[in-house]
Amino acid sequence: MSESPQAPAALESSLDGQQTVGGGTESVSPPATVGRAPRARANWRERFEITLLSGPAILVFVAFVIVPVIAAVYYGFYRWKGYGKPTDFVWFQNYKVILTDPEFHRAVLHNFEIAGLSLLIQGPLAILLALLLNRRMRGRSVIRVLVFVPWVVSEVIAGTGLSLMLPVNGAINDLLTKMQIFGDVHVQWLAPHLALWTLMAILTWKYLGFAVILLMAGLQNIPDELYEAATVDGASYWQQQRRITLPLLGPTIRIWAFLSIIGSLQLFDLPWIVWGEFNVDRDGVSTMATYMAHYGPRTQLYGYGNAVAVVLFIISLFVAVLYQRLVLSRDMAGAITDGRTGR
Amino acid sequence: MSLNFPKARRAALAVAGAGLLLASAACGGSSSSSPDGDSSSSDQPVTMTLWTNSTTGPGLQYFKDAATAFKAIDPNVTINVQSVQNEDYDGKLQTALQAGQGSAPDIFFQRGGGKMLAMVEAGQLADLTDSISDDATSNISAGTFAIFQADGKTYGMPLSITPEGIWYSKDLFKQAGITSTPTTIAELTTDAAKLKAQGTPLAVGGKDGWPAGHWYYMFAVRDCSQDALNDAATSASFDDPCFLQAAKDLGAFNDTDPWEADPFNTSAQGSAASTAGLLANHKVAGELMGAWEPGVVGDLTPNKKPLPDLGYFPFPATANGEGDPNAMMEGSDGYSCSAWAPEPACSDFLNFLATTDQENKYATAFGTIPANKAAQGSVTDPAAKAALDAANNAPYSVLFLDTLFGSNVGGALNTAVVNFMSGQNKDPQSIIDAVNNASSKG
Repeated sequence: MSESPQAPAALESSLDGQQTVGGGTESVSPPATVGRAPRARANWRERFEITLLSGPAILVFVAFVIVPVIAAVYYGFYRWKGYGKPTDFVWFQNYKVILTDPEFHRAVLHNFEIAGLSLLIQGPLAILLALLLNRRMRGRSVIRVLVFVPWVVSEVIAGTGLSLMLPVNGAINDLLTKMQIFGDVHVQWLAPHLALWTLMAILTWKYLGFAVILLMAGLQNIPDELYEAATVDGASYWQQQRRITLPLLGPTIRIWAFLSIIGSLQLFDLPWIVWGEFNVDRDGVSTMATYMAHYGPRTQLYGYGNAVAVVLFIISLFVAVLYQRLVLSRDMAGAITDGRTGR
Repeated sequence: MSLNFPKARRAALAVAGAGLLLASAACGGSSSSSPDGDSSSSDQPVTMTLWTNSTTGPGLQYFKDAATAFKAIDPNVTINVQSVQNEDYDGKLQTALQAGQGSAPDIFFQRGGGKMLAMVEAGQLADLTDSISDDATSNISAGTFAIFQADGKTYGMPLSITPEGIWYSKDLFKQAGITSTPTTIAELTTDAAKLKAQGTPLAVGGKDGWPAGHWYYMFAVRDCSQDALNDAATSASFDDPCFLQAAKDLGAFNDTDPWEADPFNTSAQGSAASTAGLLANHKVAGELMGAWEPGVVGDLTPNKKPLPDLGYFPFPATANGEGDPNAMMEGSDGYSCSAWAPEPACSDFLNFLATTDQENKYATAFGTIPANKAAQGSVTDPAAKAALDAANNAPYSVLFLDTLFGSNVGGALNTAVVNFMSGQNKDPQSIIDAVNNASSKG
């Protein structure tokens, strides 16, 4: 209650779009004079604030994203083993080899298979789980934790554990055998015909929690009034989910799908650790990133590896831009605040 | 567009490669007039970093003890010992060396061969030619030093030799009714079938690539004449038909499926589920490895003691093979100084490691064969002793092919062997093609 006298003022100042940046109140001009007399000073101030606030982020972005990309492009033009300075300039030779290498084609195909299957498997599961966990029920927090824990475990630790459990003589077949339901179990979880599905099971287990958390956050943003009104109108639970929840959850689902696709395209650690660098290609779980690591650092073809990184970057960028244009554009429209509007 | 580039580069490799086919008969001799390492102590306090690929208890402890012992001789020198897991070692070292001063370890584990050559060409290694002590030169054979030489200069101090062969459990062989170790591939095939029937097969550990590669290397050593191997070493290509024969012989043996379950999802070292761990726990009967094996297996036995019934026999002869049946394949574990290491402290320390006293301790800690001949008497493990005898009997010996060829060709070779053995590419020619085409990517 003690804060109530302040509240209207704060609300007012945020509504007029004035002091949202910087938050300084000492030099507040009356709304009427905005854009007139102190324009030059405000401009200067605004620029200073923008520089101050975005400077560190831009610096980090340039240093750790832009510069490495440029460096990769540079090294990708060389035949270089990573020792000393690159000297053997080969133009597009590396790219020619990459684009004609069937092993790379398979890796790209696997990436897109994984991306597609992730959406198809994790999407519906995550929505159902999020709806379930959004209801008041006994043991809700326990289920939440169980779903979320795998996402917190590091990929390397999960991968190392699974690589010990999944081989034919591993703990999983052992457990299945000891359940005495399936007889003597010798399932080759990591072999070519099953590997992709094993990987999908691992990925679902690992990343479902993230999708659920994201969707639950989306659910919290849907106003209760809509459900109340629907209930008054006699809509059933499932009708409410179908007509209210899903449409309003759309932006969250689309963002999750975007993150999932990008994650699938860059997938590296789980196949690398569970299958190993010499097995991923044969077993059908190689990805562009495992290909890059194998032919970059591991066989010390740094020039070639950098060229692979550039191709991976371009493919990811293309998919990301395409997705933004075609799918996310409607969520983005109006979402980007233009500081000058209304001035 | 220099599409045909490899030729020039291969010539460079050739120079080094030629020195790497070691004549084990050659011994000592080429003395370099050098200051005795231990006598010249540093004036300024220096701190050096040492990288070892040993993660085992006694191996790591050996280097810590050696650092302490060296500090007693030269109080100005402090050495920090760091351990890097073997499979991560090459990549981490390369990054550190590329970053140069400050990041590069001063003293580090060195495999020699083509991998070392790349570091030499980049000017990242200290030239030790004039710093090697007379003690080391007279006690370590010239053939072993040759692994760490390029263009007549020495860039590493060999500490152990690692002759290759099959390390096996005597108890399990006896149980399977095998009375004498096989000397031909035909006998090995029969024995392997008995072992597999008993539930304790031979192991390959193909997940790491190189352990599978080693099977091919040994078939090549048995099928190819010394000249053919020499030519391959200098050209970094498999031109002689014997290399295809080796692939076919490996294929025939592999087709009998003598291996552990899921052989290409099993790694070679580091855990109870690795092939070394399986051997240590009598789940498999034997595997093809270098002489690091007694130490690696000993570290994985339930009581962390050497496996009491570990035995060794040299790789059996192939039918009609052109190679000498007593020829060996081996590597050497050595240590190099980086170009930025403080001198003479660094080479002093390497000379210190090569002294007979330290080599005795090294061999005991690692369960391996010391490079210093005066210390070879300390090899008491019967299996390691058998490997040492086989190495001393060999008319000639060859460096591990992946080390010899360097990371690129060696990596392509190992990948091709895994693909061939695991049935992804059943054409034996694919191994030859992989080596001859490896240069397309770099």
